[in-house]
Amino acid sequence: MKRREFLKKAGATISMIAALPEISFGKGLLKSPVTTNRLRPPGAVPEEIFAGKCIRCGRCVEVCPYRSIRLLDIRAGLFTGTPIIAAEAIPCYLCMKCVLICPTGTLRKISQEQTRMGLAVVNRHRCYTWLGSTICRTCFDVCPFKGKAIILDELRPIIVNDHCTGCGICTHACPITAEDGSKAINIEPIYAQETVPWK
Amino acid sequence: MEIRPRSFHARRLWVLSAAFLLLLLGPLANYYFQINWLQGWYQSLGIGNFWVVSPLEGLESILVARQLYLPALIAMLVPIVLALLLGSVFCSWICPISFFSEILDGLRRWLSGREWLQDRLLLSRRILWYALIGELLLTMILGGPIFVFVSPPGLVGRELMTLIFFHTLALEGVILLLVLGMNLITRRFYCRYFCPLGATLNLIGSRRKLVVNLDLEQCTACGLCDRRCPLGLSPASGMTTSLYCWNCGECVDVCKSQALTFQWCQRSERKQKEKNSWRDELEPPEQF
Repeated sequence: MKRREFLKKAGATISMIAALPEISFGKGLLKSPVTTNRLRPPGAVPEEIFAGKCIRCGRCVEVCPYRSIRLLDIRAGLFTGTPIIAAEAIPCYLCMKCVLICPTGTLRKISQEQTRMGLAVVNRHRCYTWLGSTICRTCFDVCPFKGKAIILDELRPIIVNDHCTGCGICTHACPITAEDGSKAINIEPIYAQETVPWK
Repeated sequence: MEIRPRSFHARRLWVLSAAFLLLLLGPLANYYFQINWLQGWYQSLGIGNFWVVSPLEGLESILVARQLYLPALIAMLVPIVLALLLGSVFCSWICPISFFSEILDGLRRWLSGREWLQDRLLLSRRILWYALIGELLLTMILGGPIFVFVSPPGLVGRELMTLIFFHTLALEGVILLLVLGMNLITRRFYCRYFCPLGATLNLIGSRRKLVVNLDLEQCTACGLCDRRCPLGLSPASGMTTSLYCWNCGECVDVCKSQALTFQWCQRSERKQKEKNSWRDELEPPEQF
């Protein structure tokens, strides 16, 4: 009788777990933490293999002189211990130190100009210059590739996709902060979604 | 060739402390003095252009990403050669978990006065291999290496770095407490049965050159070494030549009759010894 009771209870527990409508924390464990303004360091391989290739040695964090790179903790699930840059907090100043020391090639050795951490996108409904309320060209002034990556069209900032490195310095400098913490110019990590051709 | 200094225990404590200090030194130098040539911890350590990558983490990275990266392969050679020659000395002489365990052991000895703790739960040593295989399988199923972010030796480094850089501690440090707490059940419970890195190093060091050799003519069968071994192996029955011995030298220290010595031996020599040793027939060294 005892065994039967145990089996009953075990069966009930297992079916309950199976029937739970998607455990709330389970969902986030496999989801990439890379979103708007949350970027990988320069030269990062696509997100598809990032978690697999990175061995979480934290060397990029240690060499980063601006403390831009932080490590994700265990709440990031599979992405625990991977490096991330919060562009609006401390952007990447493209010193390119981290790409030189990555031991697994997760950060590929590339130059400043080749860096594609994401793409800056101006929110024209939020940018003061685009709205016409004031003349602000902060993003243009701070851009390390000004005149190339950001150009001014009648003093309004326009991003040139071919030259924007996605470093986030403009996002950091932008004076407009929305309620959700985003700026009038944000970095979208569009290159992180690239797929890796299997050989 | 025989090697017999005063105390391997004291030496090991020195090496463990130095290895731990290295973990502290890296982040401190980087954070406060902007000295960049020393980075990382025992997942990957960079001393200038000399890079070391832990073999298991490197292997996982290759398995999941299916890409070879030459610097990583070269950096993996260092620990592999070390393990080939000396066995899994990383575990006993360098690993920060060993360092903490030794400190806690010392504290316990000082507080309770008891020389050693009883091993309360003994499992089959084969679990170690299943842990390694299971870990690799899980890694390939999930497409993300498991061991790299819950590896206790790596976590110590990460916690220290987080402490120095961000003045906080990462949540996954709980795993460290768990691993160290397991020592209460059985000495080095995690190291003995579950550590995939230890299993990898044991496997690489299966034909190691440095072994603790038992001289049967000198052995008085006092049983001191059997009680002293932190892994619960039995040096008196020749288990020091088995896969699981991590060459810590505790048994060499404790042996009063000088029957146990570290020996640098050729493989043929060792085979001969294994053949000659009659006690091996009682407890043959396990082969993988």
